[in-house]
Amino acid sequence: MANKTAVQATINGEDVEFLCEPHQSLLEVLRDVLRLTGTKEGCNNGNCGACNVILDGVLVNSCLVLGVEAQGKRITTIEGIAPPHGLHPLQQKFLEHAALQCGICTPGFIISAKALLDHKPHPSEHEVRHWLAGNLCRCTGYDKIVRAVLDAADVMAVEVSK
Amino acid sequence: MLRHTTNWVTKPANRVDGPDKANGAAKYAGDYRVPGQLVTRALRSPIPHARITRLDTSAALKVPGVLAVITSDDFVDHGRFGFPVADNFILAYQKVRYVGEGVAIVAAVDADAAEAGVNAIELDLEQLPVIEDMEQALRPDAPVIPDVVTEGSKKGQPNVCLTQIVRNGDPEPIIAASPVQLDQTYATPFQEHAYLEPEAVLSIPNPDGSVIIYACDQSPFNNRGIAAAVLGLPEDKVRVIQAIVGGSFGGKDEGVYQMSAQTAKLALLTNRPVGMVFSREESIIVSYKRDASKIRVRLGADKDGKLQAAKVEAWLDGGAYSAETVLTAWRAAMHLAGAYTYQAVTGDVHVLYTNNNYSSAFRGFGNTEAVACIEQAIDEVAEQVALDPIDMRLKNIIGKGDRTMTGATLNQEVGLRACLEWVRQKSDWDRKRREFPAQNKNARYRKGIGVACYFHGMGLGGEGVDFANATIAIERDNSVTLTNGLTDYGTGARTVFTLIAADVLGARPERIKVLLTDTETAINSGPTVASRASVVGGNATRVAAEKIAQLLTFAAANLFKCAPAQVLRDKEAFIGPDEEPVDFDTVVNHARQLGYVLSAHGRWQLPVIHWDFEKGTGTPYVGYTFGAQIVEVTVHTGTGRVQADRIWAAHDIGKVLFPEGAYGQLYGGITQGLGYGLMEEVEINHGYIHNVNFDDYIIPTAMDVPPIEATFVEAPFHLGPYGAKNVAEPSMLGVAPALANAVYHATGKRIRELPLTPERVLLGHALHNDDHGDNSRLWLGYADGLRKVRITQAA
Repeated sequence: MANKTAVQATINGEDVEFLCEPHQSLLEVLRDVLRLTGTKEGCNNGNCGACNVILDGVLVNSCLVLGVEAQGKRITTIEGIAPPHGLHPLQQKFLEHAALQCGICTPGFIISAKALLDHKPHPSEHEVRHWLAGNLCRCTGYDKIVRAVLDAADVMAVEVSK
Repeated sequence: MLRHTTNWVTKPANRVDGPDKANGAAKYAGDYRVPGQLVTRALRSPIPHARITRLDTSAALKVPGVLAVITSDDFVDHGRFGFPVADNFILAYQKVRYVGEGVAIVAAVDADAAEAGVNAIELDLEQLPVIEDMEQALRPDAPVIPDVVTEGSKKGQPNVCLTQIVRNGDPEPIIAASPVQLDQTYATPFQEHAYLEPEAVLSIPNPDGSVIIYACDQSPFNNRGIAAAVLGLPEDKVRVIQAIVGGSFGGKDEGVYQMSAQTAKLALLTNRPVGMVFSREESIIVSYKRDASKIRVRLGADKDGKLQAAKVEAWLDGGAYSAETVLTAWRAAMHLAGAYTYQAVTGDVHVLYTNNNYSSAFRGFGNTEAVACIEQAIDEVAEQVALDPIDMRLKNIIGKGDRTMTGATLNQEVGLRACLEWVRQKSDWDRKRREFPAQNKNARYRKGIGVACYFHGMGLGGEGVDFANATIAIERDNSVTLTNGLTDYGTGARTVFTLIAADVLGARPERIKVLLTDTETAINSGPTVASRASVVGGNATRVAAEKIAQLLTFAAANLFKCAPAQVLRDKEAFIGPDEEPVDFDTVVNHARQLGYVLSAHGRWQLPVIHWDFEKGTGTPYVGYTFGAQIVEVTVHTGTGRVQADRIWAAHDIGKVLFPEGAYGQLYGGITQGLGYGLMEEVEINHGYIHNVNFDDYIIPTAMDVPPIEATFVEAPFHLGPYGAKNVAEPSMLGVAPALANAVYHATGKRIRELPLTPERVLLGHALHNDDHGDNSRLWLGYADGLRKVRITQAA
C-alpha cells in the first residue's frame, strides 16, 4: 500500500525497476511483484533453501533478504541460468540422473549448486553434500542430486577447457 | 500376459515433468495468480479443547477490504465430512478439538485487510479438559472428544474410535507353552510429512455458479466429492484440477480438502478467485501427522527360534479426528506380526481420540509403525535363542504357499529370502556382527549393525475396490494424449504411464503427454493412495493402449494386405511380410482413412478379495511386496549421538518399470525412514506442537544420509503390468527398526521408543521441552493480543 520504495536491480541480466514495501522480503518481491515463481517458499525462515538465489555472487536465502536490499545488486534466479532455448548443465544433469521428484526444492538446489561450482569448479562429494546441507529435499534422499552436481561439474570443466 | 521384450519400459528414461521442474516453469498451486484474486486469513483455535459458546463475524465484514467471512454455518450439515467416520468439519462446529483448528476464514483484497478482519471476529471459547495422551483418553472420567457414537461407546470408552482385528487361531495357550517367550511394548512418534511445498489452493468461480479448484491434493476426485457435498452442489458443478504437487507422502488429503471447500465457498460468495497458501508454521500446526503408537508384542518360539504364535495389541493416537487412521489401523493390524509364519496370531489395533492435532495417512500407512516394533521384537527373540538375526528371519519368513500372519495363503513369488541374502552378503554382515562387539570394549565410538525385513500388502486390499481408469487418444498431429484418474504428486506415476503407453503402442515417449489430473477430463479412479498407481493405473493405461495398438495393427495389415498376425513391430516401425518397415505416422494416417476411432478408455481392477472386519478373518491383499534393509551405525557413547554409516537395501517390487524413478523412491523412502528412526518427532506438549518449522523439526539433510547400496529383486507379480509391484511406501519400512537393532548391537541398550535421539540413547528416555503453547499461539496470530477470542473456564 503506502510507503513503497522504488528499487533498481539487475535480475537475470535484465535491468529492472520495481516498487516494494520496506518489509517485503526479496522472496516476496520475486514471486509476487516480479512474478518469478520459480523461486519457492518452503519455510520462510532460512532453513530449507527452496528460495535460494545468487545476490552479487553470493548464495542467499531470499526469504531472509529484504527487497529493498536488492538496490543496485545483480540477482540470479532459476529462470536466469539456462542459455536461450537450452538448459544449464546442472539442469541437464538433474534430468539425466532423475535428481528431482516433486520438484519444489529443485530450483533452490540448482541455484545452490551453481553458486558452489562458480566458486569451486571441482568439489569433492563431501564438499557437495556439505554445501547442499542448507537445502532440504523430502523426496529423493539426495543421492541423485549429489551425483548430478558432481557430473555437471565434470561437464562444465570440459566445456571451460575447450 | 507378461511381455518379455520391451522398448521403453524398464529402460533408462527421462521424467516427463523434469524440464519444467528444472527450469522453474512448473506451476504449483501457490504459484497461480489471476486477476481479482483474494487472499485469506484464518481464525484458528488457540487452545486444544473447548466449546464454542459464541461466534460473531459481523464486525469483520465491516472491515475495509474484507469481502466475506465463513464459519461452519456456511456449509451443508455444518460442513461435516470424513470417511469412514464422519466426525470432522470443514470449519470447527460447536467445539474445537485441537490447537490450530480452523474456526472462521476471512477473504479480503490483501493480507492486511484479511488480518484485520480476523481480529474483528468475536469468539468465546469455554475451555474443556484436555486429553494429552492415550492413557488419559481411556480413563472412565475422560471428556468425550468425538461427537459421533464410537465403537468404544458401547464399552464405556467413547474415545476409542474403533478396534481393527486379526483372528488367526488362539495364540494364548501356544505362547504359554512356548519355551521362549517375549512380552515387550514399543513406541513410535508422531511424524510430520514435511513435504517441501506448504499447502496451497486456488478457487475460481464461474458465472453459472460452478467453481474450479486448483489444489495441491492427492486425490482430486475425493476432493471434488467432499467439496460438492458441503457446498450443496452436484459434483459436475465442482471441477478440481490437480496442480503440480510439491510432495505429499499421504499428507495432502483431508487438510487440503478443507482448504478447497473453504476457498470454493468464499469464491462463490464473493464471485472472485480466492487463493489460500499456508506458511510452514501453519502447515505444521494445522495439518495431520503420522499417528504415534504404542505396540505390545507377545511372541512364543521354540528353543531353535521357530516362531509359534503372536499376540499383538496396538494403540494409535489418532488425535482429534479419526480421518484415515481408521484405515491405517486396519493396515497396521494386517502386518502387526511381520512377514513370518505362525501357528496362531491375533492382532488388535485401537484408534484413540486425544487433543493432539490429528493423525491420518503417511507413507507406510500403519505398517511403518508395525514394522518398527515387530522387527525389534524379532531381534529380541533371536537373542534369547542365540540365533543370528538374519538366520532367525530366514528360519521364519513366509514363502510361496505359506500362510501369512492373517492366515491367508500366499499365492505369489516371494523374493524375501533373496533380499535378506543380498543385504547379508553386500554388507559383510557375518564378519561385522562377530567383530564389532570385540572392538567396542571401552571405545568411545561403538559400531553396530542391524537388520529388518518386512512385507507390505499391495493396494487398498480389504479397504475397498481397487480400480483405475485411463484414456488415450491419438491427436491430429499424431501425438498421444493420456489421462489417468490416479495422480502424480512427485512419485513419477505420469512417467510410468507414459512408458507403458509407449511400449504398448510402439510410440516414442516424446509423442506422449499425460495431462495433469482434472476431474473434467480424467475418469474417477478413487483415491491415489496405497502406492497403487503403477500397478492399477499402469494396467488401466495398458488396457487403453492395447485397444489402440490393435487398431493400428489392423490398419497396418490393411496397408500391407496381410493378416494382422503377420504384422511385426520394431519400436515405432510396423513391418509386414515383405519386411519393408512403415513408420508410425503412415500407419496412424492410414487408420484414420479407414475411419478408425483412435481413442480409447481402459479400466482395470484388482481381483476383489474379501476381508471380514467383524471376525478379523479373510484375505487382506491380493499380493505383497517384500524387502530387507541393513543399517551400520556408529554411536558416540559420551553424547548418545547415532550416526548411520551405511545402508544396504534389497526390495522385491516385481518388475521395475522406470528404474531411475524406482531408485529415487527407494532412496527417498530410506531417508524418511532414517528421519523416523533417528531424529523426527512432532513434540506435542499439553496439546501444543513445539516444533513448528524446520529449525526445530529436523529432517535429514544431504549430510545425514550415508552411502546407500540398493538393489531390486524382481520376483514377477502375475497381476502387475509387465510383472510390476509397488515401491513408494515399502521403501521406508525397515530403516527405523534396523537402526534400533544396530544401536543395540553397538551399545547393548535396547531403546524401545523411537526416534533414537541422543537423550534416549544416553539416558534411556526423552527430554521434553515443556512448551505451553507460546510457539503455536505466536504463529496462529495471538502474539500481539489483537484477536478477540475470550477463553473462559467451564462452570
